[in-house]
Amino acid sequence: MKGRAGRPPLWSYWVVLPSFVLLWGLIAWLLQSPLLPTPLNVLDTLIRESATGELWHHLGATLGRVVVAFILAMIIGTAIGIVMGRSPTTNALFDPLLVLLLNLPALVTIILMYVWFGLVEVAAVMAVVINKVPNVAVTVREGARSLDFRLEEMATVYEFTRWQRLREVWVPQLFPYLMAATRGGLALIWKIVLVVELLGRSSGVGFQLHMAFQVFDVAAILAYSLAFIAVVQLIELAILQPLERRSSRWRQPEAAHA
Amino acid sequence: MLELRIAGRDFGQPVLGEVFATIDRGDRICLLGPSGIGKTTLLNAIAGLDKSVPDEAVIGRDKLRVGYLFQEHRLLPWRTLHANLRLVGAKADEAERLLGQVGLSGYGHYLPDQLSLGMARRAALARCLAVKPDLLLLDEPFASLDPVMAGELKALIAGILDSHPDMAMICVTHDGGDAEILANRLWYLDGKPARLQWDDAICEPGLIDGLLGRLRDLDLTGS
Repeated sequence: MKGRAGRPPLWSYWVVLPSFVLLWGLIAWLLQSPLLPTPLNVLDTLIRESATGELWHHLGATLGRVVVAFILAMIIGTAIGIVMGRSPTTNALFDPLLVLLLNLPALVTIILMYVWFGLVEVAAVMAVVINKVPNVAVTVREGARSLDFRLEEMATVYEFTRWQRLREVWVPQLFPYLMAATRGGLALIWKIVLVVELLGRSSGVGFQLHMAFQVFDVAAILAYSLAFIAVVQLIELAILQPLERRSSRWRQPEAAHA
Repeated sequence: MLELRIAGRDFGQPVLGEVFATIDRGDRICLLGPSGIGKTTLLNAIAGLDKSVPDEAVIGRDKLRVGYLFQEHRLLPWRTLHANLRLVGAKADEAERLLGQVGLSGYGHYLPDQLSLGMARRAALARCLAVKPDLLLLDEPFASLDPVMAGELKALIAGILDSHPDMAMICVTHDGGDAEILANRLWYLDGKPARLQWDDAICEPGLIDGLLGRLRDLDLTGS
């Protein structure tokens, strides 16, 4: 692992982020404007919202939508990606549609879903799924194209069932691609969910941002945003990274011979 | 047990010509021929891996269990040896016994890439046996092993053949010496497109020397 473009050392987070907060506090203190609250104001709002239970209610609503949309998008996108990567005919059929969907602004899908299906939960989640599926499909398709034909032959000779082939042969090879889709997916999905909530739901972080925007309550806007960034980072640290470590243990096995 | 009626196989240009042969239980065939002549192509066709060779070209395969020792181990690198054997249908104690048989007792919990080339190939051989094969296909089983390991593996395979008299084997090699130890029948593949130039049963020990001598005289073995 070359240090050039990899993950920066941990201390950089502990230096850069507090410095940024200090700088922000300094500027806010100098300006003395309600449009730029100090970090302490934001923390104050955060504690207040948390105490009333508002914060948890809206964080929960958003997180629920993110999780449902994420799971659906991963399942559908992975299935489409595998089929496209394995079958030139399917690829020819779906690729033009993928190009179309990849270039469709998220906002357009959201508006169309709300117009066609009404301001309902299903429309909101559908809009997010439709936005994310093409990204997952494209990433997984790359993986499906690079599946090792030698292991395919092995699975044919030893008469693996369809399920065994998927679980034992394909998923481990697709794992890095699925992780890439997951990472990108989480980051993209929660941002889209906020827009969906802003435009047509009455709960969630996006809805609260909308309310705060109406009264120019910048402290609330920052408080809710930071709270959700924290939640996403928590998912990364508590779920994704351990999962990745666990599943890639076989990659650098220690030699038993020598 | 198995009847080959392969019409041929093209990869842009014809590689394999017509191949007609029958294989019976207990046949131990060494498939000899120059490098790149299409020995592995023929083996893949027999194993049913070549989609452009119709199923009717290999009559009787659907009733057979096939164990295939590829040139690479082709074990699932993310599964332990034990799990790799279990995946093809071996019970837990059966898997242990087979690993013991190929000299890998106690290695059940190792991952394939933790093993040396020779050990991984023996593990793959154990997987071949785990399916209780009627037909054992070996693609250059001794390639890139040092002489000691190659000798051990040869003895191991010979022992397995002795204890499974009903099993048929086709072993691709370009070393006539392998045939002397393992084979009771010799195939020689050559020509463009390649056909079986020889399909002789080796009846007596003396006969194979004669056959190999003829091959050497013709300088066709390519090794």
